[in-house]
Amino acid sequence: MSKQLMKGCEAVAEAAVRAGCRFFAGYPITPQNEIPEYMSSRLPEVGGTFVQGESEIASINMVYGASATGTRAMTSSSSPGISLKTEGISYLAGALLPAVIVNVSRGGPGLGSIQPAQSDYLQATKAPGHGGFHTLVFAPSTLQEAVDLTYEAFDYAERDRCPVMILMDGCLGSIMESVSLPAMKDPAEFEETKWAVGYNGQSRPTRIITSIYPELVLENNNKARVETYARWAKEDAKAEELLLDDAQYVVVAYGIAARVAKQAVLALRAKGIKIGMIRPITLYPFPKQSFAKLNSANVKAIIDIEMTIPAQMEEDIALATHCAIPIHSYGRSGGNLLDDDGVRQAIEKIVGGEA
Amino acid sequence: MKNILIISGSGGQGVMSIGITFAQSAVKAEKFATFMPLYGPEQRGGSAKCTVIVSDEEIISPLPSKCDTLIAMNEQSLKKFLGELAPGGTLIINSSRVTSPVNREDLRIISLPADDIALKVGSAKIANVPMIGAFLGYTNALDSEIFLNTLTEKFASKPPQIIEMNQQAFQEGFAVGQAAKANA
Amino acid sequence: MEKTYTRPKSLQPLQSGFCPGCLHGTASKIISEVIDELQQAHNALLVLPVGCATMGLLYWKVDMIGSAHGRAPAVATGAKRSHPSSLVFTYQGDGDLAAIGLGEILSAANRGENITVVFANNSTYGMTGGQMAPTTLVGQKSTTSPSGRNAETEGHPIPMCELIKELKSPAFVARYALDTPQNIRKARAGIKKAFSYQLEEKGFSFVELLTNCPTNWGLTPLQSLEYMQNHTIPNYPLGVFKDKEAKE
Repeated sequence: MSKQLMKGCEAVAEAAVRAGCRFFAGYPITPQNEIPEYMSSRLPEVGGTFVQGESEIASINMVYGASATGTRAMTSSSSPGISLKTEGISYLAGALLPAVIVNVSRGGPGLGSIQPAQSDYLQATKAPGHGGFHTLVFAPSTLQEAVDLTYEAFDYAERDRCPVMILMDGCLGSIMESVSLPAMKDPAEFEETKWAVGYNGQSRPTRIITSIYPELVLENNNKARVETYARWAKEDAKAEELLLDDAQYVVVAYGIAARVAKQAVLALRAKGIKIGMIRPITLYPFPKQSFAKLNSANVKAIIDIEMTIPAQMEEDIALATHCAIPIHSYGRSGGNLLDDDGVRQAIEKIVGGEA
Repeated sequence: MKNILIISGSGGQGVMSIGITFAQSAVKAEKFATFMPLYGPEQRGGSAKCTVIVSDEEIISPLPSKCDTLIAMNEQSLKKFLGELAPGGTLIINSSRVTSPVNREDLRIISLPADDIALKVGSAKIANVPMIGAFLGYTNALDSEIFLNTLTEKFASKPPQIIEMNQQAFQEGFAVGQAAKANA
Repeated sequence: MEKTYTRPKSLQPLQSGFCPGCLHGTASKIISEVIDELQQAHNALLVLPVGCATMGLLYWKVDMIGSAHGRAPAVATGAKRSHPSSLVFTYQGDGDLAAIGLGEILSAANRGENITVVFANNSTYGMTGGQMAPTTLVGQKSTTSPSGRNAETEGHPIPMCELIKELKSPAFVARYALDTPQNIRKARAGIKKAFSYQLEEKGFSFVELLTNCPTNWGLTPLQSLEYMQNHTIPNYPLGVFKDKEAKE
């Protein structure tokens, strides 16, 4: 299929439509407005529904209602708006409903900055709502990957009846790159869900979608999550590994930061520094397998590069390496972007200090 | 070959649209391209900047620290982004709006009155076109024919005079770029 | 002997756990009777909120979605837009609808969503133990207004029908009381009209039902009905506030 230059937000929205998304509700917030704007004209073309909600809270709850009827549904927002959506994300998780949530993140905390930042790692991976649950969190690094992961996200969400988050920052939302788009799926050909509410003329027992349960049922649901998360960790964790075999230094970065970091790693390799890289593609589950390969006798230090301050992924890296390898971090924040020279020099400084 | 271009000016000067057209042309020419915009909070009149990378190889980082060419559409953007132009880089200035001298010795400077050219061919709004024309005339970043085709397709639904106007504006800029190349 | 009365099909054959004298049971019964009458038991989709109404998850025998506090109209919007053939309705209390869910109800009404909202107004937060609601009457005591609601500091009760009728989109807006058999019959007719409007795709319908809360009002069931007649109804006038199809 031929490639075309697309804007990040629009490419992700089109990927969702092609994955069979037929309901979108959202509320304006920079820098993700192109997603609802695109959906408002695109969804009606394929018989889908776009609603501009009165708030982020209403929008995620509209997604909850649409998903309850078995419709593939999505919402998007940016950092402060995702905070508002966490109520609904928790209810989706509690009610075992699939949904895709896109966070085109920006600087924080608070109103922060409208400029790009990777400031929501902890929120996305540790507590995307109350009640102690996780969503799958995908962190694309290129637009093509954003398209592919969004396309797959709907299948994952349905497979495990859970919300799935696409965590991309404002850079990926506004960048234009060439992408090839996946094939259009026809929701009419999807298998009918066994749980969705809303009769289609059939005779069957009534169905209830809810997130409130009798105590023992709730506990059993909670226990089932332990198994789900263990399966995710085993089967669904994904990372890109680069030049790890003889690496004495390992850079860890995801999303847009990983592209800047990769450029630096390749430049430093060319200078003879034994440096490699791990790029988590799933932030939850965190790709521990990649870190298990690191030998603390060889690896002198890990360098965590994030477009946020303080570093947020560092805790997961420490856990994945059992705190056996020193971790340094470098970042920019507040809407100030990482840049090639800044990242390369920061790594060089750390390598120099360690050597 | 890889070329990093920053186009800067104020909102309304067509900074983003010309950057996108350039990136689209590069994709058409089967090159790799990234277009990264940077907006101020204002909808109109604030600063506008985009970074366009065009390369024969896959682009790893879209966030370079320095660019090879800086197009400055106005005084304010020249001041703001001159520091991002690499030593030995090319600076393309809209002399209709930039009057103060450039305090760097290590640059190749191409100066053209883009507003005046635009006005002369028929629309003050297309000062962005001679600027990119000069860029393509000076560098080998992209075949100018491919760019012109993309630009023409963009205005396919508009009256033919609009297309002619844009082509003329482009050619004037292109000639300035080529002359600079000949003297280089 | 001929059987002249039976339990509605759209309710489970159970005893409800609502407090003695509570009119939620009556409201549930007349709504489900209307659903049966309109032959919608296998087409209804009830969105329940947070509050005493949540217990309906145990009592109703229709497809249901349990939603977050105040968000039922947004959830119903998503469900109805995605599954338009369903008879989608919410059954919400006054804390839920008129306080935390004020944005959702007004916006759904303003969009003219083709859903029905049944609003049970008993001027208190029942499930959480009788705190002041936006609908609590001036002077009415609650656990968070122990000296009675003071209009100077807590404002006046919010009249939802009067607010919603001002919007252009809604098709039907009416208030009924469940204090007497006559009023219950009127309410039943109003609910039937609201559901019929939805089935005819006429748009948003809103039925407010004035109810009681003997437990939190600290009254016997009979006293609570008298309270409704002497205090609630005078503050919340009954009637049809808006009917798009009514003859001028």
